[in-house]
Amino acid sequence: MSGLVDLEALVAASPFCRFLNIEPQVDERGVLVILPARNTLIGNVLLPAMHGGAVASFLEITCMLQLVHETGNVSPARAIDINVEYLRPTRPEIVYARAKIRRLGRRVATVHGEAWQKDEATPTCLVQCHFRLPSPPS
Amino acid sequence: MTGDPADNDLPLTDGVGDWAGDAVASRMVEGTPYSVALGMRYLSSSAGRGSILLPWRADLVGADGTDILAPGVLTALIDHTCGLAIMAGLAFEASPATLDLRIDHMRPAAPRASVTCAAHVYRATRTIAFLRAEAWDVSPDDPVAAAQAAFTLNRRGAK
Repeated sequence: MSGLVDLEALVAASPFCRFLNIEPQVDERGVLVILPARNTLIGNVLLPAMHGGAVASFLEITCMLQLVHETGNVSPARAIDINVEYLRPTRPEIVYARAKIRRLGRRVATVHGEAWQKDEATPTCLVQCHFRLPSPPS
Repeated sequence: MTGDPADNDLPLTDGVGDWAGDAVASRMVEGTPYSVALGMRYLSSSAGRGSILLPWRADLVGADGTDILAPGVLTALIDHTCGLAIMAGLAFEASPATLDLRIDHMRPAAPRASVTCAAHVYRATRTIAFLRAEAWDVSPDDPVAAAQAAFTLNRRGAK
């Protein structure tokens, strides 16, 4: 049931995903999501660094896309909460992210996401998200 | 709080004399590229407090077709309002960086509703600030999201 959803179409249908200009790709490990750098995403012009809110929302969308990819359910899951940990500044350069479903229940999913730039082993930001899953069709 | 004797609780400026004023505060909101891109509007600030309005916009809604602002938009609004509250409390003599941020999405905002966020520093040391924030569409008594955050302060002139 996994991998059947066209994630690019899903992203294209979301105005905010288009605003961020994110690009999902699917490979053998799951969903790899790319956030191209853009000056409008900067939150600290002195460092410079991307805005923490931009990176966090990019990661939340990554978690959601991994969820859709694995479950095959395109009905929108609703964000219950998000916990963001900022490890280091995210530079205004290309950002990559992947997410892993840690638990998939009937109503709630727990998904963790990581964003990195040059080296996947040194992520710049981590998130833990809970999603309320769409009710199964009766 | 951190066991470092130099890291005692730090009083925030109360505004008199140190208060840099609305002009600097509004520049922090309306002069940061990402907050400009999202259309954030500065509302108010005082020592350790800040509030920002995010007007609804059609290109900021999620994929579900409901015309509700995407949760990620609220994340940026809350993060930025926390930064404003810290800067206002430190007379803009710091470069705060978010350590962690936890947001509870308590209910969806109304379709096409603008959202206001208010944040306050409930404790600050020489190096760290702890904040709470809430965001609402209609009334602060009925928030759409509540958040808790910790920031490093990177105070200018601090060791």
